[in-house]
Amino acid sequence: MQYTIKALITEYQKVHAIKIDAVLGASGNLTQQIMQGAPYDIFISADTSFPQKLSERGFTIEVPKIYAQGELVLWTTRYDINLSQNLQLLLSNNIKSIAIANPSTAPYGSAAQFILKKYNLYEKVASKLVTGESITQTSQFIATGAADIGFTAKSIVLSDAMKRKGKWIELNMHDYPPIRQAAVLLKYSQKNNYNEAKAFYDFLFSAKVKEIYKMFGYTPAPSKKEE
Amino acid sequence: MIDLSPIWLTLKLSFFTTIILFILSIPLASWLSRRKNIFKTIIEVIVTMPVVLPPTVIGFYMLVAFSPGNAFGAWLEHVFNLRLVFSFGGLLVASVIYSLPFMVHPIQSGLSSLSPGLKEASYSLGKTKWQTLTKVLLPNIKSSLLTAVVLTFAHTVGEFGVVLMIGGNIPGKTRTASITLYDEVEVFNYHSANVYALILIALSFVILFTLYFINRKMQVRYL
Repeated sequence: MQYTIKALITEYQKVHAIKIDAVLGASGNLTQQIMQGAPYDIFISADTSFPQKLSERGFTIEVPKIYAQGELVLWTTRYDINLSQNLQLLLSNNIKSIAIANPSTAPYGSAAQFILKKYNLYEKVASKLVTGESITQTSQFIATGAADIGFTAKSIVLSDAMKRKGKWIELNMHDYPPIRQAAVLLKYSQKNNYNEAKAFYDFLFSAKVKEIYKMFGYTPAPSKKEE
Repeated sequence: MIDLSPIWLTLKLSFFTTIILFILSIPLASWLSRRKNIFKTIIEVIVTMPVVLPPTVIGFYMLVAFSPGNAFGAWLEHVFNLRLVFSFGGLLVASVIYSLPFMVHPIQSGLSSLSPGLKEASYSLGKTKWQTLTKVLLPNIKSSLLTAVVLTFAHTVGEFGVVLMIGGNIPGKTRTASITLYDEVEVFNYHSANVYALILIALSFVILFTLYFINRKMQVRYL
């Protein structure tokens, strides 16, 4: 989301003259901070469970709303690795480390784990798995070549910073549980900026931004209210 | 009961880091404590830098340097079949760099504060530099040596930023206690996080208490 949010803010600022600060971090990390009183107006997560936790504990104004669905890709920056839809390639000896995000805290990590288990590869590659504490760090491991290959978000491999690095393939969306990404408006926004925060929050779900989500490798959330 | 293997891993990392640093730092500290020139001063600054630099800087540069996708990392893999990213070996190298000043400084200070007469007397009695160092000088700075060892050990126990950058969170190899604690907090396992935290606090307390206790006993004896 880190690249997408910049685009969203730029688009929004074309019409509204307002300063918006995007604080980037792992969803789990940010959730903890919000629960300890961190001064954020809106929380945009990579999953649904973290905003859900905040909502259950009374930190939000409404229940979480899904803004987009993420897509999992397999990415490598090593020249000697040939990608194919057949994940059996992960068993080969010249792949010594496979990066995934922490499955307990990052939905892309648990999706990667799910798909590995589905194809009976998880136990066989477990000793090669290297866990990034966030999808960002996982991508950094892959991008720097520290990890031979890894699972990351489509939005990362499409970003300006990463798009010329290495090669990637999209994984079949039916092979893993949907990565539904949700956002919430936090109670903290009522202190100073409620109206402005609400306006930007609504913007995240507007028809205008669906193209931006698509451009960055997400599937926009359906327009229907129920989800 | 919670999984104690991260604690053992932390202790193992701290133990080996301390031993390696002890062996490396004695000659280095000894050299730095003798007459100064500009070159020595530069080395002194380099040795001190890990104290000042954020651990993530060290971690970041190590990640880039040791990555098998880059020249040096690829060479290591090619020649030694060694990967220093995502391995205990890599953490050890990182810890040695990160805790270097904690071992060197107390020893260097200790040696500098000894009266030069001690060294000169030893030389004039025909002892070599090495014999002087090991049989005369070091025994006289036991308190500094103890401080150095204990600080290095304790500092490595607390290491987080570097491990986070280059560890990869592998259970049994790079998932240290500080990382585990952080992970437990992130998944709302506050009870586990608390247990790890208390164990780390207790460990640090015992280590530091031992240091001060032994130090006091030594001072009493030499009066």
